[in-house]
Amino acid sequence: MADNIRPFQRPDGDRRANRTIFRRTMFLMVLFGVLIFLPLLWKLWTLQILDHEFYEQKAIEQQTGDKAVAAKRGVIYDSQGNILAISATVHDIILSPRDVGKLQADYAKKVETAKEKGKPYPNYPEPTNDFIAQGLSEILGTPKDDLLARLAKTNSAYEVVAKKTEEEVSSRVREFITENKLSPGIVVQPTTKRYYPYSTLAAQVIGFVNADNKGAYGLEAMYEEELSGEVGRVVTAKNGAGTELLYRYENYIDALDGYDLHLTLDATIQHYCEKALAEGIANADAQKGGFAIAMDPNTGAILGWANAPTYDLNSPSAIYDENLLKGLALLKEDASVSEEEYNAAVANARNTQWRNKAVNDTYEPGSTFKSVVLASALEAGVVNENDTFYCSGSVNIAGHTIRCHKRQGHGSQTLAEAVMNSCNPSFIAIGQKLGAETFYQYLRDFGFLNLTGIDMQGESGSVVWDEDFFVSEEGISSLATASFGQRLTVTPLQMLCATSAVVNGGHLLTPHVLDSIVDEEGTVIKHVETTEVRQVISEQTSERTRTILERVVSEGTGKNAYVAGYRIGGKTGTSQTLVAGEYVVSFLGFAPANDPKVIVLVALDSPKTASPESSYTPNGQFISGGGMAAPIAGQLLADILDHMGVEKQYTEGELSGVDTMVPKVTDFPLAEAERLLKKAGLTYRTVGDGTAVTDQIPAAGATVPGSSEIVLYLGGTKPDEAVTVPDVTGKAPQAAREALAKVGLYMKATGATGYYTSSTVAGSQSVAPGAQVALGTVVEVRFADNTIYD
Amino acid sequence: MAKAKRDLTLEEQWAKGPIDLPFFTLTLLLLGFGLIMVFSASSATAFYEELSKHDPTYYAKRQFLFAVAGVFIMYLTSRLNYQQLRWMSVFILGFSILLLVLVLIPGIGVERNNARRWIRSIGPIPQFQPSEIAKVGVVLYFSARLSKRDSEMKLKRPKKWDTRTFYGRLMVFLKRIGFLELVPYGAILLLIVVLMKFEPHMSGTILILVAGAAVLFASGIRLGWFVGGGSLMVAGLTLIITTTDYMTKRIDLWRDPWSYPKDGGYQTIQSLYAIGSGGLLGLGLGRSRQKFLYLPEEHNDFVFAIVCEELGYIGAAIVLLLFALLILRGYWIALHARDRFGALLVVGITTLLAFQVFLNIGVVTNLFPVTGISLPFFSYGGTALMIQLMEMGIILSVSRQIPAPKQD
Repeated sequence: MADNIRPFQRPDGDRRANRTIFRRTMFLMVLFGVLIFLPLLWKLWTLQILDHEFYEQKAIEQQTGDKAVAAKRGVIYDSQGNILAISATVHDIILSPRDVGKLQADYAKKVETAKEKGKPYPNYPEPTNDFIAQGLSEILGTPKDDLLARLAKTNSAYEVVAKKTEEEVSSRVREFITENKLSPGIVVQPTTKRYYPYSTLAAQVIGFVNADNKGAYGLEAMYEEELSGEVGRVVTAKNGAGTELLYRYENYIDALDGYDLHLTLDATIQHYCEKALAEGIANADAQKGGFAIAMDPNTGAILGWANAPTYDLNSPSAIYDENLLKGLALLKEDASVSEEEYNAAVANARNTQWRNKAVNDTYEPGSTFKSVVLASALEAGVVNENDTFYCSGSVNIAGHTIRCHKRQGHGSQTLAEAVMNSCNPSFIAIGQKLGAETFYQYLRDFGFLNLTGIDMQGESGSVVWDEDFFVSEEGISSLATASFGQRLTVTPLQMLCATSAVVNGGHLLTPHVLDSIVDEEGTVIKHVETTEVRQVISEQTSERTRTILERVVSEGTGKNAYVAGYRIGGKTGTSQTLVAGEYVVSFLGFAPANDPKVIVLVALDSPKTASPESSYTPNGQFISGGGMAAPIAGQLLADILDHMGVEKQYTEGELSGVDTMVPKVTDFPLAEAERLLKKAGLTYRTVGDGTAVTDQIPAAGATVPGSSEIVLYLGGTKPDEAVTVPDVTGKAPQAAREALAKVGLYMKATGATGYYTSSTVAGSQSVAPGAQVALGTVVEVRFADNTIYD
Repeated sequence: MAKAKRDLTLEEQWAKGPIDLPFFTLTLLLLGFGLIMVFSASSATAFYEELSKHDPTYYAKRQFLFAVAGVFIMYLTSRLNYQQLRWMSVFILGFSILLLVLVLIPGIGVERNNARRWIRSIGPIPQFQPSEIAKVGVVLYFSARLSKRDSEMKLKRPKKWDTRTFYGRLMVFLKRIGFLELVPYGAILLLIVVLMKFEPHMSGTILILVAGAAVLFASGIRLGWFVGGGSLMVAGLTLIITTTDYMTKRIDLWRDPWSYPKDGGYQTIQSLYAIGSGGLLGLGLGRSRQKFLYLPEEHNDFVFAIVCEELGYIGAAIVLLLFALLILRGYWIALHARDRFGALLVVGITTLLAFQVFLNIGVVTNLFPVTGISLPFFSYGGTALMIQLMEMGIILSVSRQIPAPKQD
């Protein structure tokens, strides 16, 4: 009963209990209804408001894919539009052993389900390591074992098994992948490769790119920024698995293709330079190669720039030069040479072939420097064409005896003769007339104390005496040696630029290889203008110097460079290097002498000597610039001028020897034939007694020297018997011509033919002695003066 | 029988009172909000998954169906006179303990991530976590028993112990400090903790302990026991954290997830990216980027991170506000409940809900170490949602019997 009334009269304990529940529930209400939300709201505030930017940045970093869009590397053209360097798409072949493992597991699974459920077996071969290695090895030519070893690296997903494969190979790999369902175990990844269509041409100038397509050497490195362009970017949203969310692309920045370079180099002239250099090196057996540079003296534009030893730009690491290869082969055979030493030698050989000697290295210019001294002296007015100089064979300067290369002395000479003879005592006298201070000033003015500023990497500076020393008492012997180009080292390019100033009217120009930078639409971004550093000498002085220098070639030490009709001027040089028995022989020439269009510097480094101390080659030739460099330089100038389309200028004397094309006179009456031949400047003799010409020797169209005698057959045809070519080498010009005429052959003389001396003899002939040739064939005979001592 | 029938009629009258509309409205608001967020968060995963056949609405549709069923269950439960739960509670608790045993048996329990927390679906019954039922069971049983606490103490003739023996004196002492009273509750909780240790299920255990403790606390058990129990738990946890590598690693991950971007810290980092990049206003509904396979569990335990990313601080705060209002209203109902049983029942369920919200958001924001706990109404999971709604139904049922305010 008591139970029934309890709801109406709650006992104290009951009420107290209810109060407790009420109080405690209130407590829980405040705690869980309000208080617990405070730390949550605070934490969210810090994350979402205070650190928002940090997290947003991080999130965007992972949510967006940043894919590079490759920019096309610019093309390098020569001045005629020939492509010297161009990039093309090739493919790397990449193995992913990890994915191959997955493919194998997949295959096993498929086979298993096929077995269990009677489904068809996979319709492609099992992707075993062996199968893949075999297939790739057949396509790539890589040894199968290598590929198996790569496949064994099952943790790797990136094994490059072939780099930069051509389309032909990569397409076969692609086929192999699709046929055998090997994706993504094998990946064909596009990349670019730099091609150099002319391989070795101007290798040291153009340079090459490294494995990442970044310029490593030469112009490729120099103009890396311009050539490479700007890599574009595609920023897309991607999901957590790395897949792009295509419909959520965010941003696209176009790739900016690299600019094209147009060089001043002319592939043809460059080829001439390289051909001439190779010929010179072969003839002189130059141990350390050499260089040949051709420049437009009026603009400073480099037209051709050959270096030897050279290399193939398409595989720059391979040693190309035979001499270098021979040296390395010897080292390899030598048991005492360690592997490390051999590798160092290979690296050294690489650097040698990559080096652009004409700008990276210095040399003693030797007598070629005399043209600069001559111009300075004429400009300063300390000498003139009427001055005479006496050479006794030696001169004493400050207690040292300086010898002329002609021991017995040149005797009394005019200024021009002193230059033609390259007489050292005369030039010491000229230097002294100039005085050390003026001399040094001209050194400075001609740019020997500064870099030329050419757009090539690694230009070195000259090594010249300090001015204070040079003008002092002690410097007197320095002035003497400087007067004939010894004991000062300059870069070949400085020498070329200074001489260019001597002959172009006195303007010292900044040389350059780049003509213009052009974008893909053909807009010229940059054009290299002719930059004049300063005018060093007057137009008149330049002209006077040219006249004297032209005589050096027509009559003096440079006569081996003579080519009729081209009016070549220049100066020879022979200088000893720091290594005993090693010489640099050079020729610095320009043409035409009245208005120079091209100037060349050809130098051969270390022609082989008969013995370490000897000044003669093993075959008895005196080692000299006039004997070794001048002949090739002369021909080079002639080739270049022909290519440039410079009209020939003949002197009266030369005109008679000018090559003439034989006109067609066969089937013509004799009188008409006579008229035609006379017009062509040719003479004739007749065989037979008809009235009409029935045959002729040589045939119409042949080129013979002017005034040559044409044989006309009046009735009957010419005998078709062959004649034997006589050996004319070593013969004087007249004797050689007669020897050939005797058997019915014509001679075309080249080389030192402008001014014959008793020492001018035939050096080589275009048709080997003993060969059988048709009657009337023209044999080209090259004459040289082998007694030139400079 | 007639008398009983009359009583029943009165009960029925009481049980026919109006449900608490604010609480009901808040529940539906959160449920609707949760459904939208599940759709948004799960769409990317559903699109990429093989399981869902690349249908972005796969999870959303299923969750919707469960929500509809859940609301129906909530309605039915709210119609039930909660007094019936007094006698049911023993069986519900017993049944849930049986399930906790069954879940450990391979074949019945589904093993996932080295844990056996789910009973596999049998026939029409979808798979579910027995711990969800155990939570309700504990709250029901504790409330039912503790509501009769003082009458129990009074009506039962106090047992006399022989104070001359040590045992007798000890028992008297234990009774005086209230220990004896706690023994059955402690035993039940201990049994459940031990069973769940075998699964294992850390976060579920914590929730059950908290729910049990909340009911015990509200019912008036001496505070000393909570202080003592609390300190004991802290000491135990400290011991576990410092001695087991697994827990030490977890703490390290919690303190500096950036040092473990690959192993373990990944989920936290991704969650922080999502929350942080939301900023004040968020990226906009449906425009989460982190849901694209970056954030794991983005529609389950970490759905709140997506809420933060898409709706910003404002959206997150609104969700928290809704939860806070629901919880406050829950306690309000408890305060106004017709009887102690109703009050304790609502306190238990509301505290359970509040603590689960607190723990989930704490984990998502890296306020606590990571533990697998879902966010009520928001996380994807059909049975959990239905049980959650059923619990809400119980509260609504209690709200029906709140006496109308006196009109004087």
